[in-house]
Amino acid sequence: MFESLRARHWLSILIAVAVMVGLPLVTQDTYLLHVLILAMVFGIFASAWNFVTGFAGLKTFGHHAFFALGAYGSALIGINAGLSPWVTIWLGGFIAAVAGLFIGLPVLRIKSMPHVAIVTLGFAEIVRITLSNLTDITRGELGLWGIPAFEGFTLPGIGEVSFSPADKAAYYYLALVLLLLSMVVITTMMRSKTGLSIIAMRDADDAAESLGVNLTRLKLQVFVVSSFLVGVAGAFYAHYISILTPMAVAGVDLMIMIIAMVLVGGLGTLTGPLAGALILTILVELLRDLDTFRLLIYGALIIFSVMFLPRGLVTIGEFVPWRKRPADNEGK
Amino acid sequence: MTFYLLIEQIINGLIIGSTYALIGSGIALIYGTMRVLNLAHGEFYMLGGYFVFYFAVTLGIPSYLAIPIAVFLAFVLGVVIQRMTIHYLLGREGWMFSSIAVTLGLSIFLQNAALLMFGEQFQSIPYYVSGVVEIGQVRIPAQRILIFVVAMTTIAVMWYILKRTRLGWAIRATSQDRDAAAVVGIPAERIFMITFGLAAALGAIAAAMLAPIYAINPWSGLPLLLKGFVVVILGGLGSFPGAIAAGLLLGVIEAIGVQLTSSEWRDLISFGLMIAVIWWRPWGLFGSKPA
Repeated sequence: MFESLRARHWLSILIAVAVMVGLPLVTQDTYLLHVLILAMVFGIFASAWNFVTGFAGLKTFGHHAFFALGAYGSALIGINAGLSPWVTIWLGGFIAAVAGLFIGLPVLRIKSMPHVAIVTLGFAEIVRITLSNLTDITRGELGLWGIPAFEGFTLPGIGEVSFSPADKAAYYYLALVLLLLSMVVITTMMRSKTGLSIIAMRDADDAAESLGVNLTRLKLQVFVVSSFLVGVAGAFYAHYISILTPMAVAGVDLMIMIIAMVLVGGLGTLTGPLAGALILTILVELLRDLDTFRLLIYGALIIFSVMFLPRGLVTIGEFVPWRKRPADNEGK
Repeated sequence: MTFYLLIEQIINGLIIGSTYALIGSGIALIYGTMRVLNLAHGEFYMLGGYFVFYFAVTLGIPSYLAIPIAVFLAFVLGVVIQRMTIHYLLGREGWMFSSIAVTLGLSIFLQNAALLMFGEQFQSIPYYVSGVVEIGQVRIPAQRILIFVVAMTTIAVMWYILKRTRLGWAIRATSQDRDAAAVVGIPAERIFMITFGLAAALGAIAAAMLAPIYAINPWSGLPLLLKGFVVVILGGLGSFPGAIAAGLLLGVIEAIGVQLTSSEWRDLISFGLMIAVIWWRPWGLFGSKPA
């Protein structure tokens, strides 16, 4: 992960971005774009969770709380204060980040992994219960609707950009921009000195601390950045889907899906969560008719990848014997 | 809140708390012995409930026979699951997380397998005993008293096994130092399997006792799992006596809290308590501060 980017890396990044940017020019199929938009939202979520869990080694199971806080926060501010989604999605991220700070402080003093897992899960349940009980504000399980959509604008040279259910291309590009921004944030942090400290903290926290890494501050930093990104993803999701229920955005099922994505793709890698999000989102759509089997398959996928592919699909290349890879430390 | 109502709530809290203690002690037992946080523990509870339902209601076997059969089946299931998954992960690189992740996968898998096999309708089991016990002005259904008696007896038996039998010594030795235990000839891997089975059996007993008052459905494990987690955090993770005390305490706090607010805030009370404890005494209410 820390090796300097060579031409072939830049080339593959460029090709990936070009394909994503060019896709709506080739097809305007709303269904395909919808699936890809969801894959990108979950890609942000999965990358941000992987940032905390895979890179920093803080095994949280409650990140869906931040998705829900971002989604409900942005939607409720939009509905009640009449602010534009262009403003409120950042406020949603901010709310999630503050919550991340609140739950991060007690949790991150503890080195015990099970405690972190349990407490974050419990916090997410608190968020879900609160959202479904405060029916005056959130309408509970009936669902919050009437969430404002993004306002359109005019781009010089391209013309009118409008965000409507019929025209997914604008949402697609917005999701792509958010995804790229998130990846830039995570990648620059990981490739900097901070990233080295983060990996050191994960692999040997005592040694890292003795070399002057402030563990608590670093953990908080990672936790807050991650919850902000997840909050923004949730906020975008709220204004895109335009109906929210506590079960859908704060239920354990969402977290399970994200965990499955990251584990299948590759925990502790940069590209793994994105690959996992893309594969599993498409898989879900292909299996739409078999909806009752969806979670069964998720469960089996998690078990399978933990048992047989502990570092995920993106590391599968290492098993190809004729391909010599430099022994990088990605995902260790 | 009148005095009698308070007494009644405390007694009810102790009764429900005794089943929390059963669930929590199962989680504590597994964590204490093999340092694995079992996210699939709720599924042992859920499947235990279905086993009891199958033998007692579908087949019509008398409940005093049906429950032991169901509990034994849960024990076997726990042993098999441990052998097929956790067994291979222990000691592997990053096993602490991979073992949690695999139990998460197991939990979802078992939940949805149960959904496909048993359907989503809620099942219930008739009361094992009828009648109401009256002490002064406090009235408690005999069924609830039975829950408490069975739960506490189970815990006492478990305690006896851990403290007084060779199996218990082996379990405790393995949990203190796996390698040292192996040196004196304790088969650690078999101990792990048995421990997992015992924990599953504890979950099934809790399910058998709660099934007549709570419905059985594929998702009934998750709320109990979360309660079990609160219990082990309050009691100190991995501590068997801590889990028992914390289970009873949580039951009482919830019962009084619900009386003061309303039942939909019940879970919020327990999770809030957990987070408060994490702030204040991260090593648990009954443990001592690690050096």
